[in-house]
Amino acid sequence: MPMDAIGIAGTSLSTHRKWLDAVSDNLANVNTVTSTDDDAFQARYVTAVANADNQGVSAAGNEWGDPEGRVVHEPDHPLADEEGYVRYPDITLSDQMGSLIMAQRGYQMNTAVVDRAIDIYQAAIQIGAQQ
Amino acid sequence: MFDSVTTRALTSALDGLAARQSAIADNLANVNTPNFHARRVQFEDALADSVRQGDGAVEAAASRSLEPTRLNGNNVNTDTETLSNADTVLRYQFAAQSLTGHFSNVRTALRSA
Repeated sequence: MPMDAIGIAGTSLSTHRKWLDAVSDNLANVNTVTSTDDDAFQARYVTAVANADNQGVSAAGNEWGDPEGRVVHEPDHPLADEEGYVRYPDITLSDQMGSLIMAQRGYQMNTAVVDRAIDIYQAAIQIGAQQ
Repeated sequence: MFDSVTTRALTSALDGLAARQSAIADNLANVNTPNFHARRVQFEDALADSVRQGDGAVEAAASRSLEPTRLNGNNVNTDTETLSNADTVLRYQFAAQSLTGHFSNVRTALRSA
């Protein structure tokens, strides 16, 4: 059954929430250090795909950042290898902050769509009511 | 009396505006979806023609926006969609009240008979 405006906005709310969750996790791990024997923390990027028949949007899956990360010389770090290197994740803080704001604004805009859709339903309920 | 041009035209307008509301919801749902093109719902011109010919029943037609896209291939314009959303709600409320007014006239006619 096709969804109405509220349902369509709902698909976008959950997609933007998943995006926000991914950005939060990326930002939380921006300084997560691993040894050079292991992969670096990989940033997660949610891919959004429009649903068929104009029924909103879904988070189709994830793309992952580079497992190589950035190799940094920190000989005093407990995880440093014999040559003094550790791995940092390849996350650009400014990109993630930009994504954070885009995801937040997208979420807010879709809550406004829900509010407008409620106005329409209320008008429809009043059709034929005695004034 | 219940299947008059007024009833048919106002019902068509309500259906068309509801379809437009869904299209706007879908456009704004996909504001961050790469390669998404906004959808437009049109019915006003067809409705005016149909009313002129004494019918009033029309289906809304949808098309994809040909506006230039952003770098991610998306052309949803949040300003126009938000304005169109508010506009659609007001038009819907107007059509709904007009239909209620029409039914109120019918009720008056039934009582006076």
